[in-house]
Amino acid sequence: MRSNLRVPLSVAIVILSANVLAAPAALDAPPDGLASVESFSSIGDRAARSAAIFNELGKVLTHPRCLNCHPAGDRPRQGDMARLHQPPVERGVDGFGLPAMRCPICHLKANFDPAGVPGNPIWHLAPREMAWEGKTLHDICVQIKDPARNGNRSLDALIEHIGEDHLVGWAWAPGYGRQPAPGTQKQAGALVEAWVKTGAECPN
Amino acid sequence: MTLLTVTINGRAYGPREVRDELTMNDFLREYLGMTGTKFGCGAAQCLSCAVIVDDPQGTSYTSPTCVVPAASFNGKSIRTVEGHAKNGELTPLQKAFIEHFAFQCGYCTAGFLNESQVLLERLAKKPVARADLDKTIAEALDGHLCRCTGYIKYHEAVRAVILADPNRYLF
Repeated sequence: MRSNLRVPLSVAIVILSANVLAAPAALDAPPDGLASVESFSSIGDRAARSAAIFNELGKVLTHPRCLNCHPAGDRPRQGDMARLHQPPVERGVDGFGLPAMRCPICHLKANFDPAGVPGNPIWHLAPREMAWEGKTLHDICVQIKDPARNGNRSLDALIEHIGEDHLVGWAWAPGYGRQPAPGTQKQAGALVEAWVKTGAECPN
Repeated sequence: MTLLTVTINGRAYGPREVRDELTMNDFLREYLGMTGTKFGCGAAQCLSCAVIVDDPQGTSYTSPTCVVPAASFNGKSIRTVEGHAKNGELTPLQKAFIEHFAFQCGYCTAGFLNESQVLLERLAKKPVARADLDKTIAEALDGHLCRCTGYIKYHEAVRAVILADPNRYLF
């Protein structure tokens, strides 16, 4: 039984080599961090560079700090394991919850660490059309460029939204017991800007 | 530290200095000795700690107290389970809870009572169709946990109060 679980050393080397060769731009990314924009300059092809940058940004977009409030259904998720939110709240008509259970009742202007409740002045769910849960990075990329599914934002507005928005910024200061999104909001904003400037190409 | 002033069941409390990490549940139970508001899960999942918040617009809503800092209630007016009966006279809702044997251990009762009271006040302002009554009650009480499985009893008690005064709550 035990030997069946072992990966032959030669196979492991091939897998490791393939991964390294496929993602040279991300080599400078620290653990739980983001690769710098400059590290992608070695990719000569503009479209490939753009897609690679979005791939790096995907570490943020698919992180629980972001996905939990971009759910596919009407219930947010919570925690690093992305469990369904308890108590059983729903988005309501405006994304701020049902009349009997509005988000700001528990989620105040700032994190309340003694109770482990995250906070922000406008804590709410992303609109249903901006759901990312369960989607591939390619699908998220196509969606995030579509004004009908990105909050009617231009590509330039996306730079500001991800790089400077206060609620988005909570992902990097989520309070006790929650893993922050990779890197920093400034780094993520720089990646979005570089992605837009290189043509906003999507990874396959 | 925050200087907290809050109105509870019509009576002003404070100003009183409270630590920013103090929950409203601890303030009620430990500082004021108002133990009718329960501490259950400590994570806003059972809602046995819910109190009524009266906003200046004349509407009301419930709020858990176990995960919310006391300081966030500064300047607000709230009602707890101790504030329902007046001069020893139970409200129709409280009487209905007893008549329907809605609770056994009673630990969740304060939360259910407050939530049901908010529902009655909401329906008095905005009645619902008779056909939607059961769905409306179920949605209002959703999230409150009862480990004695009193859900249907609570539901029936609230329904009885509403049906006893249909012109007020229904159309």
